Amino acid sequence: MDINAVTTIAKQELTINIRNKWTLIFAGVFSVLVLAISYFGMITAGAIGFQGFTRTSASLLNLVLYIVPLVALVMGTLSFTSEKGASEMLFAQPVTRGEIWLGKLLGLFGSMLTATLIGFGLGGFVIAMKAGTAGALRYPLFVGFSLLLALVFLSLSALIAALCQRKNRAFGVVMFLWFFFVLFYDLLVIGGTFLFKERTANHFIFASLFGNPVDMTRVGSLIVLNGKEIFGVAGAALMKFFGGEVTSISLLVLGMTVWIVAPFLLSQRLLKRQDI
Amino acid sequence: MIQVNHLTKKFGEFTAVNDVSFEIKAGETFALLGPNGSGKTTALKCLVGLMPPTAGEIKVDGADVWKDARRAKSLMSYLPQYVNFHDNLTAREVMQFYCKLRKLPAARIDDVMKGSHFNFNGFTDKPVSQFSGGMLQRLGLAVASLPDAPILLLDEPTASLDPERAIQFREFLANLKQAGKTIVFTSHVLADVEQLADRVAILVGGKLVALESITALRQNLMLGSQMRVELLNPGASLIAAAQNAGANQITAQESALLITSAPEARMEILAAIETAGGKVVRFATEEPSLEDIYLQYIKQESTI
Repeated sequence: MDINAVTTIAKQELTINIRNKWTLIFAGVFSVLVLAISYFGMITAGAIGFQGFTRTSASLLNLVLYIVPLVALVMGTLSFTSEKGASEMLFAQPVTRGEIWLGKLLGLFGSMLTATLIGFGLGGFVIAMKAGTAGALRYPLFVGFSLLLALVFLSLSALIAALCQRKNRAFGVVMFLWFFFVLFYDLLVIGGTFLFKERTANHFIFASLFGNPVDMTRVGSLIVLNGKEIFGVAGAALMKFFGGEVTSISLLVLGMTVWIVAPFLLSQRLLKRQDI
Repeated sequence: MIQVNHLTKKFGEFTAVNDVSFEIKAGETFALLGPNGSGKTTALKCLVGLMPPTAGEIKVDGADVWKDARRAKSLMSYLPQYVNFHDNLTAREVMQFYCKLRKLPAARIDDVMKGSHFNFNGFTDKPVSQFSGGMLQRLGLAVASLPDAPILLLDEPTASLDPERAIQFREFLANLKQAGKTIVFTSHVLADVEQLADRVAILVGGKLVALESITALRQNLMLGSQMRVELLNPGASLIAAAQNAGANQITAQESALLITSAPEARMEILAAIETAGGKVVRFATEEPSLEDIYLQYIKQESTI
């Protein structure tokens, strides 16, 4: 593995994404969302004003679960299926296809990391100033889960690009995949529970978490955001099933890691003997 | 320097390159000539490691392009037919990127930019999005020149250049040739091939139909060139006079003679016709087109 090649490609990818405004737009969107949700989060209860970190993160979570996968898939697909002339020039260099792919993935993750840190950082700073620092230690863990989610979907975009090769076909698959993980998967799991008895159905639901990185992020984030209060009985049952809070988080992080590594390795395997 | 052994490349059922073998010597300028869809770009992409061959092997200085890709590719520099770079990078940033990728010193960029061919007229620090097609092609060539690799592979290098730039480009390649570089290029432009190549591989329908030195190709071209002589008084005696003066083939057409000969024999043939009493009204020469050459080779192939 030529580390020089990987870092050079990663830096170039990061520069491109910062220049084409994706990173800044993403950072801006997150800043606005964090602040808006924190400020208007209690409006249904008849109050406005900045809420603390835990409440803001919990409200923010659902939006993160929609936006992060979509942005990661779009950015990843745009990069991994880059223009023919540019690809030919790059792949003709004395670097392996694996190094090119890894460099792109790291560069894309770098731009999402920058955007997330700026977005959540700015929002977090304002919340800390206005509503205090209670729950502030759990907030970075929630951001960490968001970043893992971004990496999963960047890895999936590499796989889609390797499978589809053409940009327009890849975007079709991207849209399907996004809908599948964000919307359809849970419906399928709920439907699946009707096939089992109550106890088996519970186990089926818990196990099905690992089939969807979006659900893993949701559950992982809720656990780190003081799950016992937010989660209620179902959460307690889940943690009992997995063996406690630390074990649950560890298993979820492990599951996410598999979702990052497996699609990426598969994409490299496909790319290895592909025509450029 | 480059050995291509029984190279075959298929796309599904379609065979783009069919059992092609040739060898390119160090310092040689080698052209892959063929009509559109003949498989020359596919063959070049296999050579540079962009496409895995379906069968056969390619070795560059003994290194297999697939099994020892890093070493093989480090000996080569490639310019694709359609050059493209990220719109929001400047020409200098593009070159810096490829410099770092090849672990070259940053000073190499200035060395390359000194060449008159890479004068970007103050556009060096402008985004690539502001570049014309010709400028992009030149930037591509500048990038390909960075590593000073012993082998340069170019896919239709003059296709998107205006005539003036095409002439400059040929001069640039001629300099590289003099410097001892091995140059491999695809083209369907006869002028490129005639001026630059030492040897020519002609591909038709994915098959190698001829592997000629440029001298032999020229000979074939000469044999195919025709002269049309319009006469006031055509007759058998004039045909005989033309034949004696070196005509290879003569076809009589009402008041004209279609004479196939070597170009240097033409004036002698005309003089012989006039000496034999022929009254020449006008004459015109017709050079064979690339299509004629391909047809000639296809004909030869089908008769084997």
